[in-house]
Amino acid sequence: MARRQTRLPVVFLLMLASLAVLGVADEPLSHDIRPGYGVTDVRWLSDYFQPLRDTAGDTPVYILEGEQSGGVFLLLGGTHANEIAGIMAATLVVERGVVMRGTVIVIPHANNSAAKQNSGTYNANTPQWFELTTARGEVRRFHYGDRRTQPEDQQPDPDTFVHFPSGIEFAGDEARNLNRNHPGKPDGTLTQQISYALFQLAESENVDIVVDMHESSLTSSLAYTLVCHPRALVVGAFAILDLELGGISLKQEESRQEYYGLSHREFGDRTDALAFLIESPNPGQEGGEQAPDVINDPRAPLSTRVHLQLTTVQAILSNHGLLEGSGDSIALSFPFDLEELVGADLGAYLR
Amino acid sequence: MKRRLGWMLIVLLFVSAGAAVGQEAEEAAAPETFAAPVVIVSVGQSAGAQQARVLAIRAGLDYVFEQRPEFSILEGSQTLILVMGASSKGLGAAGVDIDGEIAWAIDMVARARELEMKVIAMHIEGGARRGSTSDQIIHAIAPLADYIVVKGATPGVEWVESEEADANADGLFSTIAAENEIGITYIAKTLDGVEVLMDLFEIEPTE
Repeated sequence: MARRQTRLPVVFLLMLASLAVLGVADEPLSHDIRPGYGVTDVRWLSDYFQPLRDTAGDTPVYILEGEQSGGVFLLLGGTHANEIAGIMAATLVVERGVVMRGTVIVIPHANNSAAKQNSGTYNANTPQWFELTTARGEVRRFHYGDRRTQPEDQQPDPDTFVHFPSGIEFAGDEARNLNRNHPGKPDGTLTQQISYALFQLAESENVDIVVDMHESSLTSSLAYTLVCHPRALVVGAFAILDLELGGISLKQEESRQEYYGLSHREFGDRTDALAFLIESPNPGQEGGEQAPDVINDPRAPLSTRVHLQLTTVQAILSNHGLLEGSGDSIALSFPFDLEELVGADLGAYLR
Repeated sequence: MKRRLGWMLIVLLFVSAGAAVGQEAEEAAAPETFAAPVVIVSVGQSAGAQQARVLAIRAGLDYVFEQRPEFSILEGSQTLILVMGASSKGLGAAGVDIDGEIAWAIDMVARARELEMKVIAMHIEGGARRGSTSDQIIHAIAPLADYIVVKGATPGVEWVESEEADANADGLFSTIAAENEIGITYIAKTLDGVEVLMDLFEIEPTE
């Protein structure tokens, strides 16, 4: 009995420790994002779908509301958390963007669980963190995450992932790929719930445009591509021709019916929004690279990739305004010329 | 000696004047002209047709656009523009039935000919829209056209845009145009197609 008494506190402490660990594991990951003057409200994705609260899938939602009324734009980074140009482009909008007309809603880490750790999906030599130095000399650290929701947050993978509601089958680990899970499911897996929350947001905020920012390998046929939902093709074509004048050559692809689960298809089909997906090239997704430099590779520096993402966003917004009329237009600006980003030190543009 | 020099000068003047006239005549042999209304369609279902539609809007062309219309759309129109380019398979698309697509386009051209329409073949997405499937379309359709517009290098002229923007790097379009005696215009940027359409359809710029 005396022996049992001495063991009880130890067991109790161990239980407490386990709970603490579990508690931490369930909290959404925090990031070094410093909202600028343009941010008028900060919410959580769980505000749009309560069951997501206190899970690894919850993530901050930044609202930049202009003084003049206009359309609503949803910008997604980090759907795949290893595709960092989208994350940093979204971060730059939050930190330095100003909206004059309409509302811009930014989610830099759409799949926040995926951001926790990099399993090296495409290249085992990619980092867990990357660093950028601000103009003041401060070193800021950012997660280099994974393509999919962390296994610890959603397991086990099924042998075959059956997309809801189409019934289309994918490999089992795609059950954790947010960009195969749209439009999500309220009582589904964590990844399905994240997607469901994004769709709840799009619906309740009457989103007019969705842009999901992605990256591919340098040599992929997807690099330098703007994928457009069929309803978004004309705006996309206008945007691409404008970009070409500025020296950016993008391929335009139509989102086809069979792209079930992908953002550009499902947001376009299931909401009133015009849906786009941008692909910039990331050296970290090149399988054969021994020491991929995801920041300074001269073939595709991070700052140039962020420039590509944001310039494309601006071309979409301006042409949407021209075609849809000023009532739905959205005016986003930065306190610097986006052209300055090309080949620049990206950190110098952060707060 | 002075008289001889004088004659030589006169001859030279005549020769150079003749050459100038010849050059003017060549320049005066303006490219074939086309008439509106126009039907713009896609062959290969790439988004290039949407971009051609934007070019038509910017050129002020009287057009109708449909990716893959019924042949009845041709009735009452003067020119058919076929925008060539196969949709990328890199996106996991099931893809289009390319043989069916080509057969449909050939029949479309045949119907246009019955209606005494002219045909323009456009390829305006650059080298990124080349590849085996797109090339099948180009080989089958471009020779049927009265005129070709391609985003790519003019033979013998240095290409200053990016490599992947050049759809004529291997001379495919030049060869097709030469072998079939088809007029061709090379553009460096897709947006240059606006000016080409304005020239081909003799559209005056508006203020």
